[in-house]
Amino acid sequence: VMRLTKPTLFTNIPVTCEERDLPGNLFNQLMKDDPSTVKGAETLMLGEMLTLPQNFGNIFLGETFSSYISVHNDSNQVVKDILVKADLQTSSQRLNLSASSAAVAELKPDCCIDDVIHHEVKEIGTHILVCAVSYTTQTGEKMYFRKFFKFQVLKPLDVKTKFYNAETDEVFLEAQIQNITTSPMFMEKVSLEPSMMYNVAELNTVDTAVESESTFGARSYLQPMDTRQYLYCLKPKQEFAEKAGVIKGVTVIGKLDIVWKTNLGERGRLQTSQLQRMAPGYGDVRLSLETIPDTVNLEEPFDITCKITNCSERTMDLVLEMCNTNSIHWCGVSGRQLGKLQPSSSLHLALTLLSSVQGLQSVSGLRLTDTFLKRTYEYDDIAQVCVVSSEIKQS
Amino acid sequence: SSAKDAKSTSGEDDSRDIVQQKTQEEILFHEETIDLGGDEFESEGNETVSEDSNNFVDKLNEQMMESVIISDSPNNSEDDTGELGCLQEIVDQMEAKDNQKTQTEVDKEEFLSNESETEHEETPKDISEIGTDDQASLKEDSIQEAVKEEPKLGNNVPVETKPNNVDESTPEDQMLSPSTTKPSSEAEPIPVCTIFSQANNASSQPQLFLPDGFEPQMVKSPSFSSMIETPVKYNPQVVQPSPSLSKFFGDTVNTNTLASDFFDSFTTSNFISVSNPSASSSVPEQMSSLSNGGDGSSSNPTFPVQNGRPEAGGPPSSIEITQSPKPFSQIQAVFAGSDDPFATALNMSELDRRNDAWIPSEETRNVLISVATQQYSAVFIDKENLTMPGLKFDNIQGDAVKDLMLRFLGEQAAVKRQVLNANSVEQSFVGLKQLISSKNWRAAVDLCGRLLTAHGQGYKKSGLPASHTTDSLQLWFVRLALLVKLDLFQNAEMEFEPFGNLDQPDLYYEYYPNVYPGRKGSMVPFSMRILHAELPQYLGNPQESLDRLHSMKIICAKILENLEQGLAEDGSMTNITQENRQASVQLWRSRLGRVMYSMANCLLMMKDYVLAVDAYHSVIKYYPQQEPQLLSGIGRIFLQIGDIKTAEKYFQNVEKVSHKLDGLQSQIMVLMNRAFLHLGQNNFAEAHRFFTEILRIDSSNAVANNNAAVCLLYLGKLKDSLRQLEGMVQQDPQHYLHESVLFNLTTMYELESSRSMQKKQALLEAVAIKEGDSFNTQCLKLG
Repeated sequence: VMRLTKPTLFTNIPVTCEERDLPGNLFNQLMKDDPSTVKGAETLMLGEMLTLPQNFGNIFLGETFSSYISVHNDSNQVVKDILVKADLQTSSQRLNLSASSAAVAELKPDCCIDDVIHHEVKEIGTHILVCAVSYTTQTGEKMYFRKFFKFQVLKPLDVKTKFYNAETDEVFLEAQIQNITTSPMFMEKVSLEPSMMYNVAELNTVDTAVESESTFGARSYLQPMDTRQYLYCLKPKQEFAEKAGVIKGVTVIGKLDIVWKTNLGERGRLQTSQLQRMAPGYGDVRLSLETIPDTVNLEEPFDITCKITNCSERTMDLVLEMCNTNSIHWCGVSGRQLGKLQPSSSLHLALTLLSSVQGLQSVSGLRLTDTFLKRTYEYDDIAQVCVVSSEIKQS
Repeated sequence: SSAKDAKSTSGEDDSRDIVQQKTQEEILFHEETIDLGGDEFESEGNETVSEDSNNFVDKLNEQMMESVIISDSPNNSEDDTGELGCLQEIVDQMEAKDNQKTQTEVDKEEFLSNESETEHEETPKDISEIGTDDQASLKEDSIQEAVKEEPKLGNNVPVETKPNNVDESTPEDQMLSPSTTKPSSEAEPIPVCTIFSQANNASSQPQLFLPDGFEPQMVKSPSFSSMIETPVKYNPQVVQPSPSLSKFFGDTVNTNTLASDFFDSFTTSNFISVSNPSASSSVPEQMSSLSNGGDGSSSNPTFPVQNGRPEAGGPPSSIEITQSPKPFSQIQAVFAGSDDPFATALNMSELDRRNDAWIPSEETRNVLISVATQQYSAVFIDKENLTMPGLKFDNIQGDAVKDLMLRFLGEQAAVKRQVLNANSVEQSFVGLKQLISSKNWRAAVDLCGRLLTAHGQGYKKSGLPASHTTDSLQLWFVRLALLVKLDLFQNAEMEFEPFGNLDQPDLYYEYYPNVYPGRKGSMVPFSMRILHAELPQYLGNPQESLDRLHSMKIICAKILENLEQGLAEDGSMTNITQENRQASVQLWRSRLGRVMYSMANCLLMMKDYVLAVDAYHSVIKYYPQQEPQLLSGIGRIFLQIGDIKTAEKYFQNVEKVSHKLDGLQSQIMVLMNRAFLHLGQNNFAEAHRFFTEILRIDSSNAVANNNAAVCLLYLGKLKDSLRQLEGMVQQDPQHYLHESVLFNLTTMYELESSRSMQKKQALLEAVAIKEGDSFNTQCLKLG
């Protein structure tokens, strides 16, 4: 039995000299005669000669385990009814990998039965390849033996995710994918398969007029321990967007599908489990900003528009209070009635305020009180606005 | 996978299934098994795993700390438990009592304990004790025992743990676990890996520190990785003065021939012929003591030409050298040989200047200037600034092939093995070349050592003042180059050490104005600089190699710039004819290209593929005629990374420029690239077809032959593959007894039969007939 990882290319160590050096062109001639060098470019280290894998190597989840199974008759007798069976025992199951289960009628001395098995590895941990051979000798004796080959399946990738909730119901997913193998890994595909509620836009290419260029530049591969960040933007589909205001709790976003290749196209593929996110808890009443100027003049009033959404299951009767802070001064009457608000409905509200302090100021101090339940919701740090003195702005 | 599907309905069913299967298995294979002997399974990877486990805990800890910080995903905890799914099963059994612990805590511990077990104790709780002999050859006996126990232990695992697992789990856990534990239920062809964004998963990371037994593709030569430590193995008597030295010096006749060969052999300049005396005169004591060891002064060829500066080089001792008239006549003979000695001399110096040009560092330049301005007494050179090389070990001779023959084929066969050694050839450059071309590099290294000893730079002479000549440096170059060729990198490094950065003043001709009147530049051959720069990368320090190559690149570029500005190479105002300037530019461009080549190779070794590809691109500028080969090479780099598409692009570009090669060659290259592309696409059948196609055009193509055989193996045709390789080796052993071919062949022998030894020994016999002492016997895997 031999594991068939991809062969590797033979590398040679170029030692050159110049004609005037002592060995003359001896070294160069030696390199030319060496069959493993590239003819005409002997100094090129990477040759064309394929060499078979010399050890078992590592195998990673999602890769294909290939192995050559050869049963060779070392004796000088013909044996009959040979049955070769290859099973893979994992920590949870046992798989039969033999291509055929039919017995071979007879095997002459110095002949062999060959089989190449493939198995896509789907579990981490200890795997044992069990090869069982049964046969009948010339004397009619039934014989069988088994061999065990144990190997560990390791994890190739480490994936970390992070969600960012935008004001506009969009969700940004940042996925960090780390190559935790010891070899470079070419990421052929990293895509997000969104759940039914979302449409996804991949933000990993920079679109130019001619073609879209990867944000990773020419570096198409991941070195060992390198981490790459992928960014995706998810928008709720129209039909769900309507109810987006009430999307609550854990929602399924989708899953990442990762395909990579290593040495000579050895392929691996993994999918993550469903990524879930906790929708931002808006509580019962959600207040979001619709419009706000980014820069305002000192001590000059400016307008903002808020959207108030009732996220609860009941009708609310809201009263708006506006509390001044050190820098933010609200204009207009505090404690005004906003009227009844049905569940899942929203209203828009224009407010005027001014700032008495320069610099980046935080808009704070809005209080909504539900008169039915006598519950008050506080809204601070709703947004930030840059306050400049009026002279600067005019000039 | 239908069986699998059936199994995955629930954990308990699953395990019962296994139980049944196991019992069936037991019934089927209950009798004693037959031991087929050696086990071909290549599990060195596993072996290294256990070796590595020493630092395991440290690494584990590091990891723990690191990734605790990185956990800000909202769905940490659930994911994490999900991920542990299958591993949990194994360990839950042991930890079943710890249900009270919070899930995460448990996870963490389980991971740790599981990890340490698999690594250190090979998981006794896991699937049987097979783990303990997870070495290259599994002992059949213990396996048998293990097998009998396996059902018991193995079954325990799922039966007990599955329910436990569910009990412990938080609701989220349950939601997730389906995806890990029964991937097949959704008829999902792809394995599912859960996302883990929490600290705990870090504990699984140490696995990735396991050395990837396979990986060093760049360093893949079997001999290569392991040979680094081999010097000791090959020359146990590394540091012993050669006993043959005295004999060597005692033989007067021999020495005379040596001297003559020595001094008029390869060097092109007539001035050089007179150069050697400086070696002896500047270190008279050493030389004389050396000659005393042998016969006496007669063997010590000395010359009337005075070394300019004994004060600078060595102790200002009196010059007590007998003067032999012979060299003079030789010099005359040389001069008489050419029609116009002056013209020749001029021409030579032109060549010399071009070849030897080098730009010294500021400090060195100052020393050289003061030497040139004859301020003897003012010139005081620090001992550290002088180059004082010496052999660091002696008698590297040995013939690994013969040793193996003694071991496996018996004394009689071994006697038949006849290779040249340092004694059996002329003690001169001629003999040296003979040894090199007959691939007796070990003997050649020895001979270099002897010749260097004649220069007063022999064994234990390191650290003693020496004086250098073109010849001595060339000898050093050959010796060091051969050491590198033999993969004896550490030895080469040791002997390179006294040379520093090859910029010491005494390595410049200007330092010896009397020996080399008017000659300028460095004695160090350019190739030796390359060798010096490349060496660290083979010793695991590629950064140092890059640094050295960069400074070489700067000097080469500076020289080219000087030439373009109408100056001489070193920036001085010398008149150079247009023709000579052209030749010089050409030389230095190709040298610069050579430096770029080394850089690219070094970057490739560092696996910095992006930079390596860039570097190879710039090599194309210097060696445009190699463009097809280089582009193909870049394509292969991309194939190695796994980037098949880009590789394909490069291969297409090759087809566009392949007209640079002659018809046959370009045809072969195109076919070869196509074959490689198919390899990358896992299509071994097509790859084999293309390799065979090449053989149709060029039946002696070793690469295609070998690669076609490799493809056959992957297609499950072991016998055919063997036939092809064997046929190839028999057909032209001179060419095909190559390390890589033999390596493949022995690997297949091992796979074919447990009685591979005989066949390997047959290969050894074939090798013994054809190969010199530099043959790397590791590829025969006879050890």
